[in-house]
Amino acid sequence: MELTMTLAPDTEAIVTGRSRSPRTFRRTRNQGSGGILWILPALVLVLGMIYFSIGYTGFVSLRSWNGFILSPSEFEGGKNFARMFGDPVFWNALGHTLIFFVVTFTVQTVIGFTFAAIMHSRLKLKAVYKVIIFVPTVLAPATMAPVFRSIFDAHGQMNDVLHAIGLGSLASPWLANEATAMPVIMLITVWQWTGLTFILFFAAMSQIDSEVLEAARLDGAGSIRTLVSIVWPMCSGTTIALATLGIIGALKTFDVPYLVTKGGPNHATEFLGTYIYQEMVQEKHFGYAAALSVALLVLAIGGGVLTRLRSRRERGV
Amino acid sequence: MFDIRSRFGRFGIQALATVIAVPYLLPLVAMVSGSLAGQGLGNYKKVFDTGVVPLYFLNSAIVSAVSIALVYVCTMLAAFGFAKLRIAGKEVYFWLILVALTMPEAVLLTPLFVTASTFDMYNQLIAVILPLTALQVPFTILLARGFFEALPSELLEAGRVDGANIVQVFWHIVLPLTRPIAGAIVVLTLINAWNAYLLPLLMLLDPQKQVVTLLPTFFISQYTNDQTGVLASAVITALPIIVAYLLLQRSFERGLAAGALK
Repeated sequence: MELTMTLAPDTEAIVTGRSRSPRTFRRTRNQGSGGILWILPALVLVLGMIYFSIGYTGFVSLRSWNGFILSPSEFEGGKNFARMFGDPVFWNALGHTLIFFVVTFTVQTVIGFTFAAIMHSRLKLKAVYKVIIFVPTVLAPATMAPVFRSIFDAHGQMNDVLHAIGLGSLASPWLANEATAMPVIMLITVWQWTGLTFILFFAAMSQIDSEVLEAARLDGAGSIRTLVSIVWPMCSGTTIALATLGIIGALKTFDVPYLVTKGGPNHATEFLGTYIYQEMVQEKHFGYAAALSVALLVLAIGGGVLTRLRSRRERGV
Repeated sequence: MFDIRSRFGRFGIQALATVIAVPYLLPLVAMVSGSLAGQGLGNYKKVFDTGVVPLYFLNSAIVSAVSIALVYVCTMLAAFGFAKLRIAGKEVYFWLILVALTMPEAVLLTPLFVTASTFDMYNQLIAVILPLTALQVPFTILLARGFFEALPSELLEAGRVDGANIVQVFWHIVLPLTRPIAGAIVVLTLINAWNAYLLPLLMLLDPQKQVVTLLPTFFISQYTNDQTGVLASAVITALPIIVAYLLLQRSFERGLAAGALK
């Protein structure tokens, strides 16, 4: 997540659901039954915060409630869910999430992979390039949001540049325009996360045996051919892991659309996260917000499991 | 990867790298130049004149430090337990934690909102720290478990033979070996805690109790439409984390590469 999309270094473990060294350990003697104490703090924290929240959200999702502790809530069964399935904003948000994932994942993969290959070649100023492309991943979306708002403002730098190079006719109030708001949100995300894609592909490429590449070259394969036919397939584990991260990240998206466009104009950049926030904090529809949260949760877990199963099948595990 | 021998080719690859990298620099250039437009450094003075900058930094530092400490302790203990100890139902517990890995923050909103109003926990940093930690821990445990499993069990057994109990083995033998992964955990948690936005937005309502990510918003609430000042406050917020990254570059990249695929 969004780093809020938490980064997932141990990608293989995520993908395969098992850790990298499946070697079973030999049990030490006299361990006693105190082993549970070691995992207890983490377990209490996760169960107490996250599982409690899931349960509570599930409870509220079946009720109608304005969120004030003193005002009573009313059980109304699946009404919130029925409303959700008939809510065009909900389906729009899902559609946006899907398009957002496909576009940002594809663009990041192409740029990140290419850049990783370049950085494995003979090149000057490598350290500088790496820092430039990686710095965005450490910056808070909340920090950069005002910057992008200013760049894509009707009187912002983007339009200034277009006017300066004689393309003034293309100038537009990017964020106020339904057609261009979403591409800007995607652009910000790609800008922010390509560094992570790059660093994972870079690491994956470091693992490739140089003899394999030599052999390909002796067989007459050029650089591009080697890259496409040998390096790319050998990085497939990383690609799948990044896809998993991308799906979950897309579902988690909140900071950028909330801060840059508030989900607008006219819900054009609405994601589940922004919609939940709006329904809860602005509209005080707590039951409905909780129902949306349950949908989001199911999708996030489903997305994680799905990609995991798929990668298992591909590896024949 | 690209095996380039000709001078022309080498120039081409350098040019390609530059063409890809420069757009990534432009927003930062826009941020800094925008923050200096008009009154120059006066924009920064205006941000500092609000008087909240040191306070927000202090609050962010507290949130980050406490989150790191909690995540580190929970992760190290649990990863050791999961990787090296016999615990009944271990895999069930591990899966319970793994499921939480994909948890979107938004799912926590309703319960947190309600819990915070019930126990009057608004404006307290702990209301941000605990959820942040709970969201971070599943991931760091997954990361650390793989690392712990790769440590040879013979080492632990040797310690046991020498008469050390399990706590001593953990403290004297295991922990010193886990520095690389500990570095990654600290850096990841630092970034997620320092950059957190949604939870502070929801929990810290009093402008005197907020954190750095809320600085631009606070500034906007004080001076509507003062773009240069907003950009100056963005620069002020961004600087510490950029400096931290530049100083800890290797540890961060090593942390990410640690889990990369073979």
